[in-house]
Amino acid sequence: MFHVITCAVLLVATVCIRVYCILPKPTVPERPKKSAENRTLAVFLGSGGHTSEMLALVSSLDFDRYFPRIYIISEGDTLSERKAAALEATKAASSHSTSKNPDAYTFLVIPRARKVHQSLLTTPSTALLSVTKSFYQVALASSHRKGQFADVLVLNGPGTCLTLCLAVYLNKFFGLASPKMVYIESFARVQTLSLSGKLLRSLVDRFVVQWPQLLQDGKRGEYHGWLI
Amino acid sequence: MLAFITVGSTRFDGLIKSVFTPSVLASLSDKGYTTIVVQCGNSDFSYNHLLAQGEQSFRLEKDGVTIECWKFKPSLQTDYERADLVISHAGSGTIVDVLRMDKPLIVVPNPTLADNHQQELASALEKLGHLRSSTTSQLANTIQEFDASSLTKFPPFDGGKFRKLLDEEMGFV
Repeated sequence: MFHVITCAVLLVATVCIRVYCILPKPTVPERPKKSAENRTLAVFLGSGGHTSEMLALVSSLDFDRYFPRIYIISEGDTLSERKAAALEATKAASSHSTSKNPDAYTFLVIPRARKVHQSLLTTPSTALLSVTKSFYQVALASSHRKGQFADVLVLNGPGTCLTLCLAVYLNKFFGLASPKMVYIESFARVQTLSLSGKLLRSLVDRFVVQWPQLLQDGKRGEYHGWLI
Repeated sequence: MLAFITVGSTRFDGLIKSVFTPSVLASLSDKGYTTIVVQCGNSDFSYNHLLAQGEQSFRLEKDGVTIECWKFKPSLQTDYERADLVISHAGSGTIVDVLRMDKPLIVVPNPTLADNHQQELASALEKLGHLRSSTTSQLANTIQEFDASSLTKFPPFDGGKFRKLLDEEMGFV
């Protein structure tokens, strides 16, 4: 019995130390060396206003730098898929070489953590399925992408983006190559952070808000004016 | 002149009911808005029966104003374009779309939403002078006092900030 408890304590301690090691540090994180190589971009399109804001942000990027691009959408969110395809078409029409490449972007569909009106009783099982699938996509299925899912993952809510963040953490836990995570709080959030903002604040590499009031509590985050 | 009223992708009974009251219609016609286009979504209001039998839209004359009303359209872009005044719910997407088109905007935050951050955004933007924020009961007064020329121009989209942030993070600059 004593040995079982000792083992359990050691295991918990090891997990805690490992998680502590991979949490973002208050010091300025090391950035990749200056390079002209392309970077793989993954963005989560959270439907509705989340999708519109995210695509506005993505539209500002140089697609010759950020490719391939992975649009992560929730199961059944065809509207976000159409909007992203429309943005890609517009960009391709106004740009050259790489963005015209048919492999320049892909869609990744993940199950919803919780469907609207779903009972709380069954939520843990669907959430677990969502995390498992996200983990599978982020970690294991990425081997064909030169061992890494993406160089950067941009999130702006809602719920399902937490499962993606957890999947990235599982990746980090096992020491696998993991994307940098950037969270952009919605323009609609002036005085209070969204739930996903509160949850992801200490987990992501960059936490960006669009109203300075949100940083008055002195906790981590950055403000660069309105991004959209 | 034409005023366009929109509730977005769901419903906002309070706003639509308010728009159809004699006092709001009088304020609108006083200010020269003799044509009103209403996107009512799934809102419940007294003229609902006119949309009941699979009708897409209806048109009626009331208190000297011509009202055209319909539920949804794939894009509201052309409706924003032809409007001289937009009255809308305080969803951030609608606000940004309308202000970027330089259209005078009055927003009515929906108080029935569980997490009322619509009010926060409306107040913050009103403080900066980009729009006027009202309530369903104050709408007639707000329209009466509304002076589009006193509004501050909303800044255009500046993608440079996010591009710089990500380019830095990824080592391009």
